[in-house]
Amino acid sequence: MKKRLGLLLATGMLSFSMILAGCGNSSKESGANGAGGASGAAETNDEAATEETQKITVWAWDDNFNVAVMKTAAEYYKKLNPDANVEIEVISNSKEDIYKKLQTGLASGGKSLPDICLIEDYSIYQYLNSYSKYFYPLNDDVDYSQFSPYKVEVMTYNDKAYGIPFDAGVTGLFYRADYLEQAGFTAADLEDITWDRFIEIGKQVEEQTGVKMTVANGTNYSSLFRTMMQSAGAWYCDSNGELTITNNEVLKESLETIKKMRDAGIILECADDSTLAGAINDGTTASVINAAWRVSTIKAEPEQSGKWAVASTPRLNNANSVNASNTGGSSWYVLDNGQDKGAIVDFLKAVYAGDIDFYSDILVNQGAVGTYLPAQEGKAYQTEDEFFGGQKVFAEFASWLPEVPSVMYGKNVPESNTAVNTALFSYLQGDITVEEALTQAEDQLKNQIQ
Amino acid sequence: MRKIKLLLKHAFLMISSLICLFPFYWMVVGATNLSKDITKGTLWFGAEFMNNFRAVQETADIFQAVLNTATITIVQVPLALLICSMAGYGFEKYPSKTRNKLFNVFLLTMMIPFAAIMIPLFNFVFDVGLIDTKMSVIVAALSNTFLIFFFRQSFKALPNEMIEAARIDGASEIGIFFRIAMPPMKSTFAAGFIYAFMKEWNNYLWPLLTLQSSENRTLTLFLSSISSAYYVDYGQILVSVVIATLPTILIFMTMQKHFVSGILGASK
Amino acid sequence: MKKTQNTVNYNKYGWFFISFAMLAFILFTLYPMIESLSLSFKVLRDGEYVFGGLTNIKRLLGDKIFHKTIGNTFLFLAVQAPLMLMLALVYATILNAPKLRFRTFYRTAIFVPCVTSLVAYSVLFKLMFANDGIINYLLVNLHLIEAPIFFLNDPFWARVVIILAMTWRWTGYNMMFYLAALQNIPAETYEAARVDGANAVQTLFKITIPQLKPIILLTTIMTTNGTLQLFDEPMNITGGGPAEMTTTMSQYIYNNAFVYAPNFGYSVSMSYVIVTLVALLAFVQFKVGKD
Repeated sequence: MKKRLGLLLATGMLSFSMILAGCGNSSKESGANGAGGASGAAETNDEAATEETQKITVWAWDDNFNVAVMKTAAEYYKKLNPDANVEIEVISNSKEDIYKKLQTGLASGGKSLPDICLIEDYSIYQYLNSYSKYFYPLNDDVDYSQFSPYKVEVMTYNDKAYGIPFDAGVTGLFYRADYLEQAGFTAADLEDITWDRFIEIGKQVEEQTGVKMTVANGTNYSSLFRTMMQSAGAWYCDSNGELTITNNEVLKESLETIKKMRDAGIILECADDSTLAGAINDGTTASVINAAWRVSTIKAEPEQSGKWAVASTPRLNNANSVNASNTGGSSWYVLDNGQDKGAIVDFLKAVYAGDIDFYSDILVNQGAVGTYLPAQEGKAYQTEDEFFGGQKVFAEFASWLPEVPSVMYGKNVPESNTAVNTALFSYLQGDITVEEALTQAEDQLKNQIQ
Repeated sequence: MRKIKLLLKHAFLMISSLICLFPFYWMVVGATNLSKDITKGTLWFGAEFMNNFRAVQETADIFQAVLNTATITIVQVPLALLICSMAGYGFEKYPSKTRNKLFNVFLLTMMIPFAAIMIPLFNFVFDVGLIDTKMSVIVAALSNTFLIFFFRQSFKALPNEMIEAARIDGASEIGIFFRIAMPPMKSTFAAGFIYAFMKEWNNYLWPLLTLQSSENRTLTLFLSSISSAYYVDYGQILVSVVIATLPTILIFMTMQKHFVSGILGASK
Repeated sequence: MKKTQNTVNYNKYGWFFISFAMLAFILFTLYPMIESLSLSFKVLRDGEYVFGGLTNIKRLLGDKIFHKTIGNTFLFLAVQAPLMLMLALVYATILNAPKLRFRTFYRTAIFVPCVTSLVAYSVLFKLMFANDGIINYLLVNLHLIEAPIFFLNDPFWARVVIILAMTWRWTGYNMMFYLAALQNIPAETYEAARVDGANAVQTLFKITIPQLKPIILLTTIMTTNGTLQLFDEPMNITGGGPAEMTTTMSQYIYNNAFVYAPNFGYSVSMSYVIVTLVALLAFVQFKVGKD
């Protein structure tokens, strides 16, 4: 009886494994580009080697920004090296989705990873800290002195630099020149100011125009206090990765400043980015502090052409604080799967560390501000933008870029964002003091980070 | 009095229906408007549908994504229905203690969050060479405990005498399943179909992990991708959402009669 | 003799019918599950998962945020599940009248939210409940409130929004189950109750609910399972905020796997806590349901 039963089961299993086998074959064609490092990939690598062209896979998010930039880079490389037998395939997924795929691939021992991956500056350290062996260092190949120092700082781990610095998250103060004029302020009044002055101006603007001075995500102030912190070269942790929350004067002043702004009633609190974008477009806010990529949201409302202008980021009272900071920004990283990196490195170097025209192109078409310093000589940076009343917007951003203080972001940015934001929430409600808020955040983080 | 009561009932149902349908209305309205007007809260139709639609097509190939999702769903759903209905039938009509225990193991695993088994599953699928194939998405969901449970409950309604009679007539066991047991269960299959279809059509985390190349990208991944830009274009998103939701609604509309009686069968 | 032969024969077919599902189950569920169980004892060191003993369990016991997310999840379960199931039952009893006009329309409309795309529905809910959104606009203009409520920035209201969103999406789905089961109750039962002078509420509690016990049990277990794994709504509508007031267990597991410094071992450990909780609750519900 056992035999028969086994026979029957075997029939089932057999038909099943036939399905599996059938697909295994088809996977070789499409699966080869994954170029995984471990076990199953050995034979697919052989196949790739015999092929004429080498395929370079890139993971990136945002079709109109990063993905478009990488596609442009591929075209430029083709122009520079018509003989190179490489094909660059950019695979587009959302940022969160890319991290999920990356984390899964790394946790499975480096399986099915791309050749190049876009990773945010805030996140890269957690990957390097846990999985540096799957990343390919480029310090022998790339001259990092050509890039903004604060971008290079972020991608350095154990004295090795990984990745090619890409876009800058340099912040600026975008403001409605018409509202501010109505309240009696000129462009000079907003240049190089402190947050305290910003609040004073804000009160007057609301008195005169009835419009809130600025807009923020009321459920998540982390972008704002990170901007404030970095303007003084401070962060959640020091350069050794040790938490600096309770003893962080800059963070303390940042939180106090946000409370001051809120108590003064100059912030329009939105629930998320969609309502924030709505507030910018329908003119219910007089300013927004954000990185250069905010330009596309602002320009979505053509009726506001000529009404906007940009000034430098306000600074804290802290002596170290400057009128330049950063929020977000990301870079390209080469994943190490044991294969030869020659072609990939050559591509990245030729375009991202050498082609000024390329940087002008992506600035004009995607509004991407690169961090390759020589590129700022490009003509595109000198273009006057009618939408901003003829201001040379990108030249302004480029001029702030070298001023941005360097900080080491460390491996726990998302946890720290949540912890500090949660504590800030209770502080803003008036339930606890700022000192208690910092202690609460640090306690929570210490428990979480092991 | 009676009339007032009836009127109240209708008012209650009407308001509920409007609340339930409003998002669909808004979705269609949004698809015809510019992003900036959507975030400003417009509630009336605009003239931007074609522009939004064109913009979606220019950024990425939405029809490839529809085709991929459709292919996976069309292969997966019937296969899963067959396998799960067979299992439900096997558990119900061939009672044994061992199999009942096994059934309990099935039920217990229903409660495990997918995130908990994801990494080992990914490893396994990679090692057998299925990574980046549509088949990896199809096979992972073939055995669905809820469906097996659902079919088992439904087969309870099938009289054992019918099976016995067929046996006396000399029908084979497999023949009985296909010719005697399956035909009266049409509405059960319809209900199961809607359930499996919705699940597969909206499947997100697993296809995300296993599908790598652009050619294999599914609709849910497409939607997720266009919603995460620095500048979010809600007009484009809503056009894509309309395209993605339409098939599920159509399928439900055409099968809803069977759906209700299908659940009826299982709840006896 | 012959009889035993027959049962053996049937037993074989029993295995045959479940063999396909069993194989898929073993390969794609059971095997990864066993593997992941071992992962829950591992920690990440230099890019490899190595055995860490009870590290994850110890951490879990001291993790205040995890405890907070358990609290949040059970709050949703305690408030939302009964509310939704009651509402579903009310809809089902009203719609069960065969002579009611437009009943197909109502039924479809109330069911259809569960087939919406998550993306559309979360964007819409955020816009509707924004500070200057349509809900605040209506409430202010009807003079129900004086100033707009900051729904998504307020710990209490953010939870209310999540509960409303879940109710909106899943009431119709549960209603369908009740509607189907109601058709099993013979009309004469209701007729008899009416003759006895029972009102609507009495009928509901004396006839409908007792008759629907098995299906109520089924929907309760389904809802419990769904709510304890709640992820979509808080993730997409409130992002877990403000101040982690709406963060659920599943969301925290997700954060530890994908957002925070990578730690799958810890995520898996927490997942098994959910499994244990769901299994316990299901067991209790079964026991109560049987009485």
